Amino acid sequence: MSTPCRRRLMRDFKRLQSDPPDGISGAPCPDNIMLWNAVIFGPDDTPFEDGTFKLVLNFDETYPNKPPTVRFASKIFHPNVYANGELCLDILQNRWSPTYDVAAILTSIQSLLHDPNPNSPANAEAANLYRENRKEYIRRVRETVEESWE
Amino acid sequence: MYKYESDSDNFMDEDDEFVDYSEEEHDFTDSEFAMDDENSDDNDTEDAGIAHDDRPRRYAETQATQPTQTQNTFSADAGDFEDDFYGIDGAEFEPVISSRGAKRPWEVDFKVYDPDELQAKQEAIVARMEPVLATSRDATTLLLRSYLWKDEPLVEDYLTDPERTLTKAGVAVDQTRPCIQSGDSAFECKICFSEGSDEEYFAPSCGHRYCTTCYKTYLVGHVLGGASWRIKCPTPKCNMLVGEEGARLLLAGDEESLARYNTNLTRSFVNDRDSFVWCPAPNCKYAIECHVPRSALRTTVPSVACICGNQFCFGCQLSDHMPAPCHLASRWLEKCRDDSETSSWIKVNTKECTKCKSTIEKNGGCNHMTCRECRYEFCWVCMGPWSEHGQHFYNCNRFNEESSKEARDSVSETRAQLERYIHYFTRYNNHEQSAKLARKLLATTEKNMEQLQRELTLSWIEVQFLSDAVDVLSICRSTLKWTYVLAFYMKPDNQMIIFENNQSDLEMATEQLNDLVENPTNHGAIEDIKRKIIDKTTYVKSRWETLLSDTTLGLQENRWQFVD
Repeated sequence: MSTPCRRRLMRDFKRLQSDPPDGISGAPCPDNIMLWNAVIFGPDDTPFEDGTFKLVLNFDETYPNKPPTVRFASKIFHPNVYANGELCLDILQNRWSPTYDVAAILTSIQSLLHDPNPNSPANAEAANLYRENRKEYIRRVRETVEESWE
Repeated sequence: MYKYESDSDNFMDEDDEFVDYSEEEHDFTDSEFAMDDENSDDNDTEDAGIAHDDRPRRYAETQATQPTQTQNTFSADAGDFEDDFYGIDGAEFEPVISSRGAKRPWEVDFKVYDPDELQAKQEAIVARMEPVLATSRDATTLLLRSYLWKDEPLVEDYLTDPERTLTKAGVAVDQTRPCIQSGDSAFECKICFSEGSDEEYFAPSCGHRYCTTCYKTYLVGHVLGGASWRIKCPTPKCNMLVGEEGARLLLAGDEESLARYNTNLTRSFVNDRDSFVWCPAPNCKYAIECHVPRSALRTTVPSVACICGNQFCFGCQLSDHMPAPCHLASRWLEKCRDDSETSSWIKVNTKECTKCKSTIEKNGGCNHMTCRECRYEFCWVCMGPWSEHGQHFYNCNRFNEESSKEARDSVSETRAQLERYIHYFTRYNNHEQSAKLARKLLATTEKNMEQLQRELTLSWIEVQFLSDAVDVLSICRSTLKWTYVLAFYMKPDNQMIIFENNQSDLEMATEQLNDLVENPTNHGAIEDIKRKIIDKTTYVKSRWETLLSDTTLGLQENRWQFVD
């Protein structure tokens, strides 16, 4: 069945395949276009470097008027990611615009790895370490990076 | 326009005049002088003549009564207050109560609006500002809304730097009108990615075009979420607002969303402004305008009455709490929520050890008490030391002995405070309960009135004295109730004694009137009762007025000290 949402997701998929942004890949499940798996590679020159972080994106028929729910499937130690993998990102909540597509969502998350925002912490421990003990913060992040290879 | 007075027996009966007065109210300041000419040319309607003649006079009256009031009320923070009071549409705001000539000291000016009038009010302000800013109607509306209808800062900013003011507010500088178009083969909607010359798209002034279906879905989503003028272009980082003109273009035909959009606009008009509140009664559609600034709430109690009958405080939207100011009223209600049940139980069931002040509940046994905390032994009846009691275990006849008295005197400060609270609370509560009974009384009174009419062949108007009496009773109950709150927080001094005298005069008279109304047959023949009730009603009302005038002035003069 073709709906505006499904047509749009097909277009998002085509765009992601033909013009993939650096360090990002994603695809819908073969049997369900509303459920996507994606991988973000930890950006260079950050503690997340070399990590391969898996994400799950869940769309419903309101897309692109409403954002999908996005969750990290891999364990990640980051000030703006909750323990269950859900993340705190403005464009996935109140700053959502229907012009954003899957590529835009994933690049935004990638840049969140680059620049955490310790002022709206989802993980208080990570936020505190990020601010006060950068060395320990890096050590904890590296742990999750190594786990992400398994 | 509704003109409402808090005093029920003083409704204006000059309806014609009022209608005229209000219809033209928005033009009043602008066209007052212009009308001179019009009238001399075209003097055919008498109504117009009256409205014209009457208006300046009444305006002058209002002004004559204002200055003293204003000085008294707001002298403490004249600085803050001027902005609020003379802000934006001071010229358009017309006092309601001034129709009586002299406003009573405790009354504040206010005006009730229904949604249509609110709409008209917005339109009137926009129409007034449009020529001043020389912007399109849509742009003027958006500018006013984003400046929360504060026209002075808007005019100042706009005249200094029009481009910056427009951009900051999210209004297109070139002010091209939004439109729905099609036929551009290069068009591609960045939301659904449909493309080609067949697609119909919405072209707002910021230039970000999307197909009408997507734009409308986007807009409706926000409208259903309660948004109105703050809806922005869907493009990230574009701050341009979707103006009213564009929104109406997109929503055309969708009556439900359009109605919702209008409701949201009106709602934000009231919510964005300090001088407006919605009537807090359930399902009430009216809004009230009143120009008492926040900074004056410690010395003024802006009690207003909605057309729906709800009498409430403009400052805090709680139900009317005259003469207690907002901060004391809310403190009291908070305290009652926390305390009243617990403290009455403590008062009834416990005493405090005279030595260590622990609270003790006696749940059985004889009067020989041994405190579990400090092992002090005392008598439950006289609170004196047990050692002086000898072997009289079961009764105490030493209540007046010196040592027992001393022990009782030493009852802790907290207990005294508790007693004090209970004292005021019982009286507060009593009036609240009586006010509820007064409402029931009204029903029986109506029956009594019918009966009187039948039995004594009196006319309808001749038995109105009963319902007048009940009206006065319930007003007084409400006021008395809150006088106890005021008194509870007052520091005792001579001024407080004067206040309490006023309070007890009113209370006594109210109780007497209550008795007369409730049991009329105990008081002799009908003519006699009628005279008594009418006399008493008048007296109670005058006591009530005295008390309110006095407390209003007292608060303004900082006559009383309140505990922190």
